[in-house]
This record gives sequence, structure tokens and C-alpha cells, in this order.
Amino acid sequence: MNSAHITLAQIIWIWIGAFLTFCIFSFLYKDNPLYRFAEHLFVGVSVGYSISISYHNVLYPDLIVPLFKHGQLLNIIPLLFGLCYFARFIPQVSWLIRLPMGLVLGFGAGASIPATLQASIIKQIQGAVLTPNIFKHWDFFVWALITFIGLICVVTYFYFSKERNKVTKLVAEGGVIFLMVGFGASFGYTVMARISLLIGRFQFLLRDWLHIIK
Amino acid sequence: MKFFEILGKIDRKIIFIILAVVVIIPLIKPFGLISKASSRAQSVFDAVDAIPAGKPLMISIDFDPASMPELYPMLTAILRHAFAKDVKVVVLGLWLTGMGLGEQALATVSQEYNKEYGKDYVFLGWKSGILPVVLGMGEDIKKAYPADNYGTPLESIPMMQSIKNYRDIPFFISLSAGSAGYETWIAYAQSRYGLKIGAGVTAVSAADAYPYLQTGQLTGLLGGMKGASEYEFLVKQKGYTNQFSPASQAMDAQSLGHLLILILIVLGNIGYFFTRHSSRKEQQ
Repeated sequence: MNSAHITLAQIIWIWIGAFLTFCIFSFLYKDNPLYRFAEHLFVGVSVGYSISISYHNVLYPDLIVPLFKHGQLLNIIPLLFGLCYFARFIPQVSWLIRLPMGLVLGFGAGASIPATLQASIIKQIQGAVLTPNIFKHWDFFVWALITFIGLICVVTYFYFSKERNKVTKLVAEGGVIFLMVGFGASFGYTVMARISLLIGRFQFLLRDWLHIIK
Repeated sequence: MKFFEILGKIDRKIIFIILAVVVIIPLIKPFGLISKASSRAQSVFDAVDAIPAGKPLMISIDFDPASMPELYPMLTAILRHAFAKDVKVVVLGLWLTGMGLGEQALATVSQEYNKEYGKDYVFLGWKSGILPVVLGMGEDIKKAYPADNYGTPLESIPMMQSIKNYRDIPFFISLSAGSAGYETWIAYAQSRYGLKIGAGVTAVSAADAYPYLQTGQLTGLLGGMKGASEYEFLVKQKGYTNQFSPASQAMDAQSLGHLLILILIVLGNIGYFFTRHSSRKEQQ
């Protein structure tokens, strides 16, 4: 944020941001009321923001306007389905919640099963052997080969239906090495992510709040 | 032996303070470590660069403020690249709490390039129900989003006259911090409609995205703050912007932070090894 064009309102919000940052950081020492205040404030603000956006972006333009202003009566059907979610608060008619739940689950399963099969299973199996540009450079081929060997080893490690002989035991042990490399890569990326978030907060404190850095 | 015992029992508060100092110093006094672009970042950059002027780039904000340090610099760098190339931009999102970030980035970057709302870029915002939105846009964007984020009907927005569905989107980028995110777009928009997709992801989820890169389902990948800095580097190198680059500024701190963690892991393990060795000896 350019400090030359900063308004009083922005200054106040930056100070509030800095205060809340320190409230959250205080947990590093130990749990305390300031940390809990900031945590609860965050949850409350998120929920309030979500309700507001849901109303203005969905409920008002997609239901209230068509139904009550344009008289499109078919919108009563989704309204009734939506209201059925609240039936769970009334024990006598709580079974009504099954109607919208069934609709959502049915649509979700129908849409996601073929899509997930195609994107995450068929394409991945295909990609384990045939990668784009596999013969473009020699290193592409080597990496594709290593990936393929890794896949075979790891799948062998997770094959429990038959007792392992000497060969499958050796292959499965190779699978453990590939798994460890994978876990290491994930852990490395996780460290990177956490440090990035810390840097983000320090950038805010040093730049926007204290104006020490550019 | 006592030294190794101390190594294994360092108070974590001391480690927090050391980490804070190690991160703050390079932010105040940068060392200027050189950042280069990986082939994964280069692929995303090339795909955006290949969009003809006047054609749209679609960006989905699938993150919230919790991932802002990693993904927001990607968003601003990509917007700068697109606006500098006179590429139209359509921004939407699957994460409700990320909409403010999208609005903020568009407002800031569009001013830098004198871009006009409705003519050069449009902000569709967020709609509930992920699947109907993603699938619906494959048939007709105006049916999934009858109006933009501010209630203006898409029919009346000049830029949207030539955009009907995914067939009119040469390239799409999902900036994703989890689910719903790039995997949703791959499963529903790419598998079914053939949308060309690139992704910017948080470092935590970067390892999970590599298989999609391997199969070609993702054109390119920006992983974490490093990925953002790589994109910033490419945009600056091509002379598309001279604006401040927050992710590039953070790379020295990131590198030193990693070095410290590496040292601590090695020291911690040495301490653990020696204390275990000595306790075994004592037991014998």
C-alpha cells in the first residue's frame, strides 16, 4: 500500500490488522484471551460475510427478483426444496430434509462419478505410461520411466491379497523408497507454505503498518 | 554429550524467535538472490502470452485471505501480464470468501493499465453450487451467471457479447488453495468441454498437482510463493510491468527460512540420535 495516498480509514484498518496479527501470534507463547478473541472474531466475520454475499449474489437475484418481482412462479419449487433443509429443526417433519439431500446427492454423484473417473483415474493411468512429449528430450523419457517404475513399486507395496515372494518383496521395498521421497517432497512444500504465510504477515507489518520496507 | 542433549531440548519459543529474525532481516535488507523461472511457470506464462489481443483469459479465484501471501501475487502478476497484452479478463471464483480479493486486485491493476470495466475486464463473482456453475458455463456462461457481481446483466456488458461458453476461452487459470479448485475445473470443465487449464496452487498442495502436469491435463503450474515470484520475474523480464513484486521481495526471506529449518532438522536429528544412543548405553 502506498503510504503517500493513505486515508485515515485505511490507517485505522491497518492498525486493527496489526493488532489482530499480534493477537494470533500471541498463541506461540501460550493460549490466551486475546488469541481467542481474534479467533472468534475471524469466524464471526467469515460467517457474516458469507451470509451477506450469499444473499446479494444468489438469493436476491436468483430467487427473490424472479419470484416476487417478475412473477416466475416455477421458482417456488426450488424455494420449497430449500426450505425443507430447515425441517430438521421440527421433529414431526424432519424427514422432509431427505428431499433436498436426495436431490443434491443424486445430482452430485451422477455428475462427479464419470468426471472423476475420466480425469483422475483413466487419464492418470494413461499418463503413467504415455506422457506428452515423452520422446522430445531424453530427460523427459528418463523421468517418465522413473515415474512408471515408481508406480509399479508403490502399487505392489499396497497389494495385500497374496503373500510376498522374494521378487515382490524387493519391488515393494522399492515402493517404500518412492513413498518416502513423495512424503519428503510434500513435507518440503508444507514448510515452504508455512514460511510463506509468515513472510506475508511480516510484509504486512513492516510495509503497511510500520513503513520500514518498500 | 550434554551439548547434544541440549540440541534435542531447545525451547520452541527460542526457535520461533530465531525464525522471525531470519525472516525479517532479508525483508529489510535484501540479499538479491537470483530468482529464475521454472519450466512449469514458463508454460503458464507462454499460454497467457499466446492469447491473441482481444480474446479472453478466465481466472478463477479459488482461495481465501488465508492463502493470500502465496496466491494473491500470482493473481496480480497474471492480471498485469494480460492487461499489458490487451487480453480481456473474466474473473470469477468458487470460494465465496475470496471475492473481495478478486475485486481488490482488479481495481488496482486495471488502474495501472487504464482498463475499463465491461470493455476490458469483467468480474462475475461467486455463485452457490459448484457443479451446476462449472458445468453450466460449458453450455452458456450467461445462463450460469445471468448477471455480474454487481447485478449488471451479462447481456448488456460489451465484452461478454463475444463470449458464450468455454469454446471462447483460449486459456483458463485456477488459483487454488484446496477444494473446490483446479481439480474441479479439470474434472468438469476440461474432461467434458476441453478447456485448456493452468493452475496456481499453494505450496501445500503443489505436490498433489504434479500428476496432472505429467498427464498434460494442466498446461503449467505455479507452486506457492516461489511460483508467484517466478511469474513476477517473467512479467518484469518481458517489460510488461515495473510495479512492486511482493513474492519476489520475499524470496530471500523464504530461502533463509528454509536454510534455518534444514539446519534445525539436522541438529534435532543429531541430538535425538546421540541421546538415544547414550540412553541405550545406560540401560545396558
